[in-house]
Amino acid sequence: MSTVAAQIQNRKNADQTPVVEYRSIRKQYGEFVAIGSVTARVNKGEVVCLIGPSGSGKSTLLRTTNALEQIQGGELLFDGKPLPASKAGIRQVRQRMGMVFQNFELFPHKTVLENITVGPRTVLKVSEQEARKRAVALLDKVGLADKADKYPANLSGGQQQRVAIARALAMEPEVMLFDEPTSALDPETIGEVLNVMKRLAEEGMTMIVVTHEMTFARRVADWVVVFDRGNIVEQGPAAQIFDNPQAERTRDFLSHLGWDG
Amino acid sequence: MDFDFSAVLDSWQYLAGGLGLTILLSLLTVILSLIFGIAVALGRMYGPRWLSVPLVFYIDSMRAVPVLVVLIWIYFALPIVTGISLPPFWAALVALTFHICAYVAEIVRAGISSVRAGQTQAGLVLGMSEAQVMRKIILPQALIRMLPSLGSIVSITIKDTAIAAVIAVPELMKRTETVSGQSFRPMEAFTVAMVVYFLILFPATRAIDLIYKNIAYRGRS
Ligand SMILES: Nc1ncnc2c1ncn2[C@@H]1O[C@H](COP(=O)(O)OP(=O)(O)O)[C@@H](O)[C@H]1O
Ligand SMILES: [Mg+2]
Repeated sequence: MSTVAAQIQNRKNADQTPVVEYRSIRKQYGEFVAIGSVTARVNKGEVVCLIGPSGSGKSTLLRTTNALEQIQGGELLFDGKPLPASKAGIRQVRQRMGMVFQNFELFPHKTVLENITVGPRTVLKVSEQEARKRAVALLDKVGLADKADKYPANLSGGQQQRVAIARALAMEPEVMLFDEPTSALDPETIGEVLNVMKRLAEEGMTMIVVTHEMTFARRVADWVVVFDRGNIVEQGPAAQIFDNPQAERTRDFLSHLGWDG
Repeated sequence: MDFDFSAVLDSWQYLAGGLGLTILLSLLTVILSLIFGIAVALGRMYGPRWLSVPLVFYIDSMRAVPVLVVLIWIYFALPIVTGISLPPFWAALVALTFHICAYVAEIVRAGISSVRAGQTQAGLVLGMSEAQVMRKIILPQALIRMLPSLGSIVSITIKDTAIAAVIAVPELMKRTETVSGQSFRPMEAFTVAMVVYFLILFPATRAIDLIYKNIAYRGRS
Protein backbone atom coordinates (compact mmCIF):
# COMPACT_ATOMS: atom_id res chain seq x y z
CA MET A 1 0.00 0.00 0.00
CA SER A 2 1.28 3.50 -0.80
CA THR A 3 2.15 5.73 2.12
CA VAL A 4 -0.56 8.21 1.14
CA ALA A 5 -3.26 5.55 1.17
CA ALA A 6 -1.95 4.29 4.49
CA GLN A 7 -2.03 7.79 5.94
CA ILE A 8 -5.63 8.20 4.91
CA GLN A 9 -6.59 4.86 6.40
CA ASN A 10 -4.82 5.66 9.60
CA ARG A 11 -6.83 8.82 10.14
CA LYS A 12 -9.13 9.00 13.10
CA ASN A 13 -12.47 7.28 12.45
CA ALA A 14 -11.50 6.74 8.82
CA ASP A 15 -14.03 3.91 8.60
CA GLN A 16 -16.98 6.14 9.48
CA THR A 17 -18.90 8.65 7.41
CA PRO A 18 -16.87 11.89 7.44
CA VAL A 19 -18.46 14.81 9.25
CA VAL A 20 -17.60 17.10 6.36
CA GLU A 21 -16.50 16.10 2.92
CA TYR A 22 -15.41 18.52 0.20
CA ARG A 23 -15.61 17.02 -3.28
CA SER A 24 -13.97 19.13 -5.99
CA ILE A 25 -15.31 22.34 -4.46
CA ARG A 26 -15.06 25.38 -6.71
CA LYS A 27 -15.88 28.91 -5.61
CA GLN A 28 -15.82 32.04 -7.74
CA TYR A 29 -16.54 35.67 -7.02
CA GLY A 30 -17.68 36.72 -10.45
CA GLU A 31 -14.79 35.84 -12.76
CA PHE A 32 -12.31 35.52 -9.90
CA VAL A 33 -11.62 31.94 -8.87
CA ALA A 34 -11.20 31.91 -5.08
CA ILE A 35 -11.15 28.11 -4.86
CA GLY A 36 -10.17 26.06 -7.89
CA SER A 37 -10.94 22.51 -6.94
CA VAL A 38 -10.67 21.31 -3.39
CA THR A 39 -11.17 17.77 -2.21
CA ALA A 40 -10.73 16.98 1.44
CA ARG A 41 -12.48 15.28 4.31
CA VAL A 42 -12.91 15.82 8.01
CA ASN A 43 -13.53 12.73 10.09
CA LYS A 44 -15.37 12.51 13.35
CA GLY A 45 -13.27 13.74 16.27
CA GLU A 46 -10.51 15.08 14.07
CA VAL A 47 -8.88 18.48 14.28
CA VAL A 48 -8.11 19.61 10.74
CA CYS A 49 -6.05 22.76 10.35
CA LEU A 50 -6.11 24.81 7.17
CA ILE A 51 -2.90 26.75 6.67
CA GLY A 52 -1.47 28.81 3.85
CA PRO A 53 -0.71 32.34 2.76
CA SER A 54 -3.36 34.96 3.22
CA GLY A 55 -5.74 35.27 0.30
CA SER A 56 -5.30 31.60 -0.57
CA GLY A 57 -8.97 30.71 0.07
CA LYS A 58 -8.94 29.22 3.59
CA SER A 59 -11.73 31.43 4.96
CA THR A 60 -13.70 30.98 1.79
CA LEU A 61 -13.59 27.21 2.11
CA LEU A 62 -14.58 27.42 5.76
CA ARG A 63 -17.52 29.67 4.87
CA THR A 64 -18.77 27.32 2.17
CA THR A 65 -19.01 24.64 4.87
CA ASN A 66 -21.98 26.32 6.56
CA ALA A 67 -23.29 27.91 3.37
CA LEU A 68 -22.27 31.46 4.23
CA GLU A 69 -20.86 31.24 0.70
CA GLN A 70 -22.43 29.38 -2.21
CA ILE A 71 -20.25 27.03 -4.24
CA GLN A 72 -20.22 27.05 -8.02
CA GLY A 73 -19.01 23.51 -8.51
CA GLY A 74 -18.43 20.23 -6.74
CA GLU A 75 -20.29 18.82 -3.82
CA LEU A 76 -20.21 19.44 -0.11
CA LEU A 77 -21.39 16.67 2.21
CA PHE A 78 -22.24 17.15 5.83
CA ASP A 79 -22.73 13.91 7.74
CA GLY A 80 -22.85 12.11 4.40
CA LYS A 81 -25.59 14.26 2.91
CA PRO A 82 -25.30 17.15 0.45
CA LEU A 83 -26.01 20.59 1.93
CA PRO A 84 -29.73 21.24 1.49
CA ALA A 85 -30.83 23.90 -0.96
CA SER A 86 -33.71 25.33 1.07
CA LYS A 87 -33.25 28.12 3.59
CA ALA A 88 -34.86 26.02 6.30
CA GLY A 89 -32.57 23.12 5.48
CA ILE A 90 -29.50 25.33 5.68
CA ARG A 91 -30.64 26.68 9.05
CA GLN A 92 -30.89 23.11 10.33
CA VAL A 93 -27.36 22.38 9.19
CA ARG A 94 -26.04 25.60 10.74
CA GLN A 95 -27.52 24.61 14.08
CA ARG A 96 -25.27 21.58 14.01
CA MET A 97 -22.11 23.55 13.17
CA GLY A 98 -20.52 26.13 15.44
CA MET A 99 -18.48 29.00 14.02
CA VAL A 100 -15.94 31.29 15.63
CA PHE A 101 -14.86 34.44 13.81
CA GLN A 102 -11.60 36.34 13.76
CA ASN A 103 -13.34 39.44 15.17
CA PHE A 104 -15.38 37.52 17.77
CA GLU A 105 -18.64 39.14 16.61
CA LEU A 106 -20.20 39.03 20.05
CA PHE A 107 -23.52 40.84 20.24
CA PRO A 108 -22.65 44.14 21.97
CA HIS A 109 -26.19 44.84 23.21
CA LYS A 110 -26.40 41.55 25.09
CA THR A 111 -24.63 40.50 28.24
CA VAL A 112 -22.15 37.65 28.12
CA LEU A 113 -24.82 35.29 29.40
CA GLU A 114 -27.40 36.50 26.89
CA ASN A 115 -24.88 36.10 24.08
CA ILE A 116 -24.71 32.44 24.94
CA THR A 117 -28.42 31.86 25.55
CA VAL A 118 -29.78 33.70 22.52
CA GLY A 119 -29.05 30.87 20.09
CA PRO A 120 -30.60 28.05 22.11
CA ARG A 121 -33.52 30.29 23.14
CA THR A 122 -34.34 31.59 19.66
CA VAL A 123 -33.43 28.65 17.50
CA LEU A 124 -33.79 25.54 19.63
CA LYS A 125 -36.62 26.99 21.75
CA VAL A 126 -34.87 25.87 24.93
CA SER A 127 -36.46 27.23 28.11
CA GLU A 128 -34.92 30.32 29.72
CA GLN A 129 -33.93 28.33 32.77
CA GLU A 130 -32.36 25.48 30.85
CA ALA A 131 -30.48 27.87 28.53
CA ARG A 132 -29.10 29.78 31.53
CA LYS A 133 -27.97 26.61 33.21
CA ARG A 134 -26.15 25.49 30.11
CA ALA A 135 -24.61 28.94 29.59
CA VAL A 136 -23.29 29.10 33.14
CA ALA A 137 -21.70 25.68 32.72
CA LEU A 138 -20.09 26.73 29.45
CA LEU A 139 -18.78 29.96 30.96
CA ASP A 140 -17.26 27.92 33.71
CA LYS A 141 -15.66 25.68 31.12
CA VAL A 142 -14.00 28.61 29.32
CA GLY A 143 -12.99 30.13 32.67
CA LEU A 144 -15.30 33.15 32.63
CA ALA A 145 -17.97 32.24 35.18
CA ASP A 146 -17.55 35.64 36.86
CA LYS A 147 -18.26 37.59 33.65
CA ALA A 148 -21.83 36.40 33.03
CA ASP A 149 -23.45 39.81 33.57
CA LYS A 150 -20.78 41.91 31.88
CA TYR A 151 -21.16 43.36 28.40
CA PRO A 152 -18.67 42.34 25.69
CA ALA A 153 -17.25 45.87 25.64
CA ASN A 154 -15.95 45.27 29.15
CA LEU A 155 -13.94 42.17 28.24
CA SER A 156 -10.47 41.76 26.78
CA GLY A 157 -10.11 40.27 23.30
CA GLY A 158 -9.14 36.88 24.65
CA GLN A 159 -12.12 36.86 26.99
CA GLN A 160 -14.45 37.89 24.16
CA GLN A 161 -13.21 35.09 21.97
CA ARG A 162 -13.72 32.56 24.75
CA VAL A 163 -17.30 33.79 25.13
CA ALA A 164 -17.71 33.41 21.37
CA ILE A 165 -16.56 29.81 21.66
CA ALA A 166 -19.04 29.23 24.49
CA ARG A 167 -21.79 30.82 22.38
CA ALA A 168 -21.08 28.37 19.56
CA LEU A 169 -20.88 25.41 21.93
CA ALA A 170 -24.25 26.28 23.45
CA MET A 171 -25.88 24.94 20.28
CA GLU A 172 -24.19 21.58 20.97
CA PRO A 173 -22.66 21.43 17.50
CA GLU A 174 -21.20 18.35 15.84
CA VAL A 175 -18.35 20.32 14.33
CA MET A 176 -16.70 23.65 15.17
CA LEU A 177 -15.32 25.97 12.50
CA PHE A 178 -12.65 28.46 13.56
CA ASP A 179 -11.52 31.26 11.23
CA GLU A 180 -8.23 32.61 12.55
CA PRO A 181 -9.58 32.79 16.08
CA THR A 182 -6.43 34.36 17.52
CA SER A 183 -5.38 36.70 14.72
CA ALA A 184 -7.07 39.76 16.23
CA LEU A 185 -5.73 39.14 19.73
CA ASP A 186 -2.94 40.73 21.72
CA PRO A 187 -0.10 38.24 22.04
CA GLU A 188 -0.64 37.83 25.78
CA THR A 189 -4.23 36.63 25.37
CA ILE A 190 -3.66 34.21 22.48
CA GLY A 191 -2.66 31.41 24.82
CA GLU A 192 -5.92 31.41 26.80
CA VAL A 193 -7.95 30.95 23.62
CA LEU A 194 -5.68 28.25 22.23
CA ASN A 195 -5.90 26.42 25.56
CA VAL A 196 -9.69 26.36 25.38
CA MET A 197 -9.49 25.04 21.82
CA LYS A 198 -6.94 22.42 22.81
CA ARG A 199 -9.19 21.19 25.60
CA LEU A 200 -12.11 21.05 23.22
CA ALA A 201 -10.03 18.91 20.87
CA GLU A 202 -9.09 16.58 23.70
CA GLU A 203 -12.77 16.13 24.49
CA GLY A 204 -13.22 14.79 20.99
CA MET A 205 -14.83 17.76 19.27
CA THR A 206 -14.51 17.71 15.49
CA MET A 207 -12.79 20.96 14.50
CA ILE A 208 -11.80 22.74 11.32
CA VAL A 209 -9.34 25.49 12.16
CA VAL A 210 -7.91 28.16 9.90
CA THR A 211 -4.83 29.39 11.72
CA HIS A 212 -1.41 30.94 11.51
CA GLU A 213 -0.47 29.48 14.89
CA MET A 214 1.88 26.82 13.61
CA THR A 215 2.84 25.54 17.04
CA PHE A 216 -0.83 24.92 17.80
CA ALA A 217 -1.37 23.21 14.46
CA ARG A 218 1.69 21.03 14.92
CA ARG A 219 0.60 19.92 18.41
CA VAL A 220 -3.16 19.69 18.12
CA ALA A 221 -4.04 18.99 14.49
CA ASP A 222 -4.61 15.43 13.34
CA TRP A 223 -4.56 16.51 9.74
CA VAL A 224 -3.22 19.60 8.04
CA VAL A 225 -4.30 21.01 4.71
CA VAL A 226 -1.95 23.46 3.00
CA PHE A 227 -3.55 26.01 0.71
CA ASP A 228 -2.08 28.18 -1.98
CA ARG A 229 -3.95 30.29 -4.50
CA GLY A 230 -7.25 28.52 -4.13
CA ASN A 231 -5.96 24.99 -4.25
CA ILE A 232 -4.57 22.39 -1.91
CA VAL A 233 -0.82 22.10 -2.24
CA GLU A 234 -0.45 19.23 0.15
CA GLN A 235 -2.33 17.54 2.97
CA GLY A 236 -1.26 15.03 5.53
CA PRO A 237 -0.68 14.31 9.21
CA ALA A 238 0.67 17.29 11.15
CA ALA A 239 3.99 15.56 11.70
CA GLN A 240 4.55 15.14 8.01
CA ILE A 241 3.52 18.64 7.00
CA PHE A 242 5.69 20.32 9.59
CA ASP A 243 8.63 17.96 9.86
CA ASN A 244 8.85 16.54 6.39
CA PRO A 245 6.83 18.61 3.93
CA GLN A 246 6.65 17.11 0.47
CA ALA A 247 5.74 20.19 -1.57
CA GLU A 248 8.11 23.03 -2.36
CA ARG A 249 5.35 25.56 -1.65
CA THR A 250 4.72 24.13 1.79
CA ARG A 251 8.40 24.51 2.63
CA ASP A 252 8.39 28.06 1.28
CA PHE A 253 5.31 28.97 3.28
CA LEU A 254 6.63 27.47 6.52
CA SER A 255 10.06 29.03 6.20
CA HIS A 256 8.41 32.33 5.38
CA LEU A 257 6.66 32.09 8.75
CA GLY A 258 9.96 31.30 10.39
CA TRP A 259 9.03 27.70 11.10
CA ASP A 260 12.13 25.56 11.43
CA GLY A 261 10.63 22.30 12.67
CA MET B 1 -42.24 99.62 26.59
CA ASP B 2 -42.81 97.79 29.84
CA PHE B 3 -43.60 94.12 30.21
CA ASP B 4 -46.60 92.98 32.21
CA PHE B 5 -46.97 89.25 32.56
CA SER B 6 -49.87 89.27 35.02
CA ALA B 7 -52.63 88.81 32.44
CA VAL B 8 -50.74 85.98 30.75
CA LEU B 9 -49.80 84.27 34.00
CA ASP B 10 -53.42 84.44 35.17
CA SER B 11 -54.21 82.15 32.23
CA TRP B 12 -51.66 79.55 33.29
CA GLN B 13 -54.20 76.76 33.63
CA TYR B 14 -55.49 77.39 30.15
CA LEU B 15 -51.92 77.41 28.79
CA ALA B 16 -50.99 74.31 30.79
CA GLY B 17 -53.89 72.51 29.13
CA GLY B 18 -52.42 73.49 25.78
CA LEU B 19 -49.02 72.24 26.84
CA GLY B 20 -50.57 68.90 27.80
CA LEU B 21 -51.99 68.56 24.31
CA THR B 22 -48.64 69.54 22.76
CA ILE B 23 -46.91 66.83 24.75
CA LEU B 24 -49.57 64.25 23.90
CA LEU B 25 -49.40 65.10 20.20
CA SER B 26 -45.59 64.95 20.26
CA LEU B 27 -45.46 61.64 22.07
CA LEU B 28 -47.98 59.97 19.79
CA THR B 29 -46.20 61.35 16.72
CA VAL B 30 -42.79 60.10 17.88
CA ILE B 31 -44.06 56.64 18.80
CA LEU B 32 -46.04 56.18 15.58
CA SER B 33 -43.20 57.60 13.46
CA LEU B 34 -40.77 55.17 15.05
CA ILE B 35 -42.99 52.15 14.42
CA PHE B 36 -43.87 53.14 10.85
CA GLY B 37 -40.35 54.45 10.22
CA ILE B 38 -38.86 51.03 11.03
CA ALA B 39 -41.46 49.38 8.78
CA VAL B 40 -40.78 51.80 5.92
CA ALA B 41 -37.00 51.37 6.26
CA LEU B 42 -37.28 47.57 6.25
CA GLY B 43 -39.68 47.68 3.32
CA ARG B 44 -37.32 49.92 1.42
CA MET B 45 -34.22 47.86 2.19
CA TYR B 46 -35.53 44.31 1.98
CA GLY B 47 -38.95 44.55 0.38
CA PRO B 48 -39.82 43.68 -3.21
CA ARG B 49 -39.37 46.34 -5.90
CA TRP B 50 -43.07 47.14 -6.17
CA LEU B 51 -42.87 48.17 -2.52
CA SER B 52 -39.46 49.82 -2.33
CA VAL B 53 -39.98 52.13 -5.31
CA PRO B 54 -43.07 53.90 -3.89
CA LEU B 55 -41.45 54.00 -0.44
CA VAL B 56 -38.41 55.81 -1.81
CA PHE B 57 -40.76 58.22 -3.58
CA TYR B 58 -42.66 58.77 -0.33
CA ILE B 59 -39.47 59.47 1.64
CA ASP B 60 -38.06 61.84 -0.97
CA SER B 61 -41.30 63.75 -1.39
CA MET B 62 -41.84 64.17 2.35
CA ARG B 63 -38.39 65.64 2.66
CA ALA B 64 -39.16 68.06 -0.15
CA VAL B 65 -42.48 69.38 1.17
CA PRO B 66 -42.96 71.60 4.25
CA VAL B 67 -44.90 69.90 7.02
CA LEU B 68 -47.36 72.81 7.05
CA VAL B 69 -48.33 72.04 3.46
CA VAL B 70 -48.88 68.39 4.38
CA LEU B 71 -51.05 69.40 7.29
CA ILE B 72 -53.21 71.79 5.32
CA TRP B 73 -53.55 69.30 2.52
CA ILE B 74 -54.67 66.53 4.86
CA TYR B 75 -57.09 68.80 6.72
CA PHE B 76 -58.61 70.67 3.79
CA ALA B 77 -57.94 68.73 0.60
CA LEU B 78 -58.25 65.14 1.78
CA PRO B 79 -61.97 65.49 2.63
CA ILE B 80 -62.64 66.86 -0.84
CA VAL B 81 -60.64 64.17 -2.63
CA THR B 82 -61.62 61.15 -0.56
CA GLY B 83 -64.63 62.17 1.47
CA ILE B 84 -62.72 61.36 4.67
CA SER B 85 -62.52 64.32 7.00
CA LEU B 86 -60.49 64.15 10.17
CA PRO B 87 -61.03 66.20 13.35
CA PRO B 88 -58.20 68.75 13.83
CA PHE B 89 -56.21 66.78 16.43
CA TRP B 90 -56.25 63.63 14.31
CA ALA B 91 -55.44 65.52 11.14
CA ALA B 92 -52.44 67.04 12.93
CA LEU B 93 -51.33 63.63 14.23
CA VAL B 94 -51.59 62.06 10.77
CA ALA B 95 -49.78 64.93 9.06
CA LEU B 96 -46.95 65.09 11.61
CA THR B 97 -46.53 61.31 11.63
CA PHE B 98 -46.61 61.14 7.84
CA HIS B 99 -43.88 63.78 7.66
CA ILE B 100 -41.63 62.77 10.58
CA CYS B 101 -41.88 59.09 9.67
CA ALA B 102 -39.99 59.72 6.44
CA TYR B 103 -37.04 61.17 8.38
CA VAL B 104 -37.13 58.35 10.90
CA ALA B 105 -37.11 55.82 8.06
CA GLU B 106 -33.89 57.31 6.73
CA ILE B 107 -32.31 57.31 10.18
CA VAL B 108 -33.32 53.68 10.69
CA ARG B 109 -31.89 52.75 7.31
CA ALA B 110 -28.58 54.40 8.11
CA GLY B 111 -28.56 52.72 11.53
CA ILE B 112 -29.16 49.26 10.11
CA SER B 113 -26.57 49.73 7.36
CA SER B 114 -23.98 50.78 9.92
CA VAL B 115 -24.06 47.45 11.77
CA ARG B 116 -21.35 45.41 10.15
CA ALA B 117 -22.03 42.25 8.15
CA GLY B 118 -20.21 40.05 10.65
CA GLN B 119 -23.03 40.56 13.14
CA THR B 120 -25.56 39.19 10.69
CA GLN B 121 -23.31 36.25 9.98
CA ALA B 122 -22.83 35.57 13.68
CA GLY B 123 -26.61 35.33 14.00
CA LEU B 124 -27.04 33.23 10.87
CA VAL B 125 -24.44 30.65 11.91
CA LEU B 126 -26.43 30.02 15.08
CA GLY B 127 -29.23 28.90 12.78
CA MET B 128 -31.34 32.04 13.09
CA SER B 129 -33.58 33.13 10.23
CA GLU B 130 -32.95 36.48 8.59
CA ALA B 131 -35.99 37.92 10.36
CA GLN B 132 -34.72 36.71 13.74
CA VAL B 133 -31.29 38.20 13.06
CA MET B 134 -32.92 41.53 12.21
CA ARG B 135 -35.13 41.54 15.29
CA LYS B 136 -32.71 40.19 17.88
CA ILE B 137 -29.31 41.30 16.64
CA ILE B 138 -29.35 44.14 14.13
CA LEU B 139 -32.30 46.36 15.10
CA PRO B 140 -31.45 46.64 18.81
CA GLN B 141 -27.91 47.74 17.96
CA ALA B 142 -29.16 50.07 15.24
CA LEU B 143 -31.64 51.68 17.66
CA ILE B 144 -28.89 52.37 20.18
CA ARG B 145 -26.71 53.90 17.48
CA MET B 146 -29.66 55.99 16.30
CA LEU B 147 -30.38 57.54 19.69
CA PRO B 148 -28.69 60.91 19.04
CA SER B 149 -30.57 61.28 15.75
CA LEU B 150 -33.81 60.20 17.38
CA GLY B 151 -33.17 62.89 19.99
CA SER B 152 -33.22 65.46 17.19
CA ILE B 153 -36.42 63.91 15.88
CA VAL B 154 -38.03 64.34 19.30
CA SER B 155 -37.14 68.01 19.45
CA ILE B 156 -38.15 68.67 15.85
CA THR B 157 -41.47 66.94 16.52
CA ILE B 158 -42.23 69.02 19.61
CA LYS B 159 -41.47 72.19 17.69
CA ASP B 160 -43.45 71.07 14.64
CA THR B 161 -46.59 70.48 16.69
CA ALA B 162 -46.94 74.28 16.83
CA ILE B 163 -48.22 74.24 13.26
CA ALA B 164 -51.34 72.47 14.48
CA ALA B 165 -52.45 75.94 15.65
CA VAL B 166 -53.23 76.66 12.00
CA ILE B 167 -56.14 74.22 12.06
CA ALA B 168 -57.17 75.31 15.57
CA VAL B 169 -55.91 72.33 17.56
CA PRO B 170 -55.94 73.81 21.09
CA GLU B 171 -52.28 73.03 21.81
CA LEU B 172 -49.76 75.39 23.39
CA MET B 173 -49.23 77.61 20.34
CA LYS B 174 -52.93 78.04 19.61
CA ARG B 175 -53.73 78.86 23.21
CA THR B 176 -50.83 81.30 23.31
CA GLU B 177 -52.36 83.09 20.34
CA THR B 178 -55.73 83.16 22.10
CA VAL B 179 -54.25 84.55 25.32
CA SER B 180 -52.24 87.06 23.35
CA GLY B 181 -55.39 88.30 21.56
CA GLN B 182 -57.51 88.52 24.66
CA SER B 183 -54.93 90.16 26.91
CA PHE B 184 -53.48 92.46 24.27
CA ARG B 185 -50.11 91.29 25.58
CA PRO B 186 -48.60 89.38 22.59
CA MET B 187 -44.98 89.93 23.65
CA GLU B 188 -45.57 88.50 27.07
CA ALA B 189 -47.69 85.62 25.81
CA PHE B 190 -45.14 84.49 23.22
CA THR B 191 -42.27 85.00 25.64
CA VAL B 192 -43.97 82.61 28.03
CA ALA B 193 -44.53 80.12 25.18
CA MET B 194 -40.89 80.35 24.18
CA VAL B 195 -39.68 79.71 27.71
CA VAL B 196 -42.07 76.76 28.11
CA TYR B 197 -40.97 75.16 24.82
CA PHE B 198 -37.37 75.59 25.89
CA LEU B 199 -37.99 74.12 29.33
CA ILE B 200 -39.53 71.02 27.74
CA LEU B 201 -37.08 70.59 24.90
CA PHE B 202 -33.85 71.26 26.66
CA PRO B 203 -34.16 68.55 29.32
CA ALA B 204 -35.65 66.12 26.80
CA THR B 205 -32.71 66.37 24.42
CA ARG B 206 -30.24 66.39 27.31
CA ALA B 207 -31.81 63.27 28.78
CA ILE B 208 -31.54 61.42 25.48
CA ASP B 209 -27.89 62.46 25.11
CA LEU B 210 -27.20 61.24 28.62
CA ILE B 211 -28.88 57.90 28.03
CA TYR B 212 -26.90 57.52 24.83
CA LYS B 213 -23.60 58.29 26.56
CA ASN B 214 -24.31 55.56 29.06
CA ILE B 215 -25.28 52.81 26.64
CA ALA B 216 -23.41 53.68 23.43
CA TYR B 217 -21.00 50.79 24.02
CA ARG B 218 -23.91 48.38 23.72
CA GLY B 219 -24.36 49.37 20.10
CA ARG B 220 -20.70 49.21 19.14
CA SER B 221 -19.76 45.97 17.47
N1 LIG C 1 -16.74 38.62 -0.98
C1 LIG C 1 -15.67 38.54 -1.81
N2 LIG C 1 -15.73 39.10 -3.04
C2 LIG C 1 -14.67 39.02 -3.88
N3 LIG C 1 -13.51 38.40 -3.60
C3 LIG C 1 -13.40 37.82 -2.38
C4 LIG C 1 -14.48 37.86 -1.42
N4 LIG C 1 -14.08 37.21 -0.32
C5 LIG C 1 -12.82 36.78 -0.57
N5 LIG C 1 -12.41 37.16 -1.80
C6 LIG C 1 -11.10 36.85 -2.43
O1 LIG C 1 -10.93 35.45 -2.41
C7 LIG C 1 -9.59 35.12 -2.12
C8 LIG C 1 -9.54 34.18 -0.95
O2 LIG C 1 -9.90 34.90 0.23
P1 LIG C 1 -9.94 34.22 1.66
O3 LIG C 1 -10.67 32.95 1.58
O4 LIG C 1 -10.45 35.25 2.58
O5 LIG C 1 -8.40 33.96 1.91
P2 LIG C 1 -7.68 33.52 3.26
O6 LIG C 1 -8.72 33.28 4.30
O7 LIG C 1 -6.90 32.31 2.90
O8 LIG C 1 -6.78 34.65 3.62
C9 LIG C 1 -8.86 36.42 -1.88
O9 LIG C 1 -8.16 36.79 -3.06
C10 LIG C 1 -9.96 37.40 -1.61
O10 LIG C 1 -9.61 38.70 -2.05
MG1 LIG D 1 -9.03 34.37 6.06
